[in-house]
Amino acid sequence: MMIEKRRGYLLSQRKNKMNKQEIAEQFDLKKEADELGVSVWQTPSFLFIVMGVIIIAAMTGIYVVSENYDNPNIVIISEASVVILLFTIGNFIIRTVTEVAKANKMKTEFISIASHQLKTPISEMKWETELLLSKFSEGLSEKQTGIVKEIAHSGHKMGRLVDDLLDVARIDQGQLALSKDKIDLCAMVHEAMASQKELAEASKVKVNMSCPVSSLAVVADKRRIAVVLDNLISNAIKYTHENGVAEIFLEGQDDAVQACIRDNGVGIPRAEQSRICEKFFRSSNAVKTKTDGTGLGLYIAKNIIEQSGGTFWFKSIENVGSEFYFTLPVSKEVSNLNLNK
Amino acid sequence: MAKKILIIEDDAVLQKALGEYIGSEGFEVASAPDGEIGVRMAAETKPDLILLDIILPKKDGFEVLQEIKADEQLKNIPIVLLTNLDSVSDVERALELGATTYLVKADYKLEEVTEKIKGILNMR
Repeated sequence: MMIEKRRGYLLSQRKNKMNKQEIAEQFDLKKEADELGVSVWQTPSFLFIVMGVIIIAAMTGIYVVSENYDNPNIVIISEASVVILLFTIGNFIIRTVTEVAKANKMKTEFISIASHQLKTPISEMKWETELLLSKFSEGLSEKQTGIVKEIAHSGHKMGRLVDDLLDVARIDQGQLALSKDKIDLCAMVHEAMASQKELAEASKVKVNMSCPVSSLAVVADKRRIAVVLDNLISNAIKYTHENGVAEIFLEGQDDAVQACIRDNGVGIPRAEQSRICEKFFRSSNAVKTKTDGTGLGLYIAKNIIEQSGGTFWFKSIENVGSEFYFTLPVSKEVSNLNLNK
Repeated sequence: MAKKILIIEDDAVLQKALGEYIGSEGFEVASAPDGEIGVRMAAETKPDLILLDIILPKKDGFEVLQEIKADEQLKNIPIVLLTNLDSVSDVERALELGATTYLVKADYKLEEVTEKIKGILNMR
């Protein structure tokens, strides 16, 4: 009985704490403005506060006028002025909120249309080149096969770029919906390493992996976690000099799995570290080392991990190397999950 | 006897590439360019599996899915949604309506699509 009471007390305390946190989050105007893609003064919460202040000021004004002037005409005029003022401001608020909602609807529709219309020609290119290489390659010279493979590779890169841009748009809209798949992180790291094998060989960077057990089950969006691993492992390879080493360490904790991607590459200058996960930001030494790159990889990775219930952080020393870490919640329940085969 | 696959896809390039690849893997392939013809062909040919796009002329993929699942004679045919619409809400809706699985075309190779088909038809 005591235990139940205590549990009930703890639950209610946690609920209160969550409510306070939710209220605080609701009034985080900067965050709200970022999510809606508008200025702080255009956010519904800010306009609501302004409206409240104006109503209080107007009521005080009417009170002062009624106290100081016996003339009913003045009181009526002041009341009428307040009504007109409130009507004008209310109208402005409704128009602003409507415009924000319309703009958001258009952005959402754009994401949906862009997703379909941009991906269809990419699918065509991928499938046609695959069909040619796998079923109709007889008679093609080595040179011709090489060219078709280059086209296929370019198609793959274009597909990734479109995915990245769409994911950024979804993150900015607060619409990055993640599925909950039960996945084996060890197997996924192996797959990511295999997909980066050519890059590692071309860059002459050795890639190692250490996992204490044969499998580590986590709950996350399989396709998106593959993107995170690809981004972090390819960065470790790209920004490491010849004969360098990139290593991936996985370890299971009580309720999370932690991954660390370490390299002994160019590192990130200290002055730029606070901005490294910002959208489109590329560190000065990264630009010198590799000209290609959008500056979206870490922004997307951080958002995917945090939205999956994990944490994302890094340590880096310029000209020594970098360590990128993330955690993901472990899978305890198999029911109600999409088991991606 | 070769298993029959019905592809309901309006993009001629994708339909041809998919059809040729699956055909070369030993399947008998039929194709429909819109949802209306797709439902009709499903009833006529009784395929072993249907590959279904979502954005289709005349009847979209969700309508096709609903009609086939409501038909006593066709409802047990596995349907694989093959589309480039990749929002979680689309996936959830398709699975709720009875689709066997949902694949995003741009993320899958023809070889992987074929492997999925073989897996569903217990051919591996």
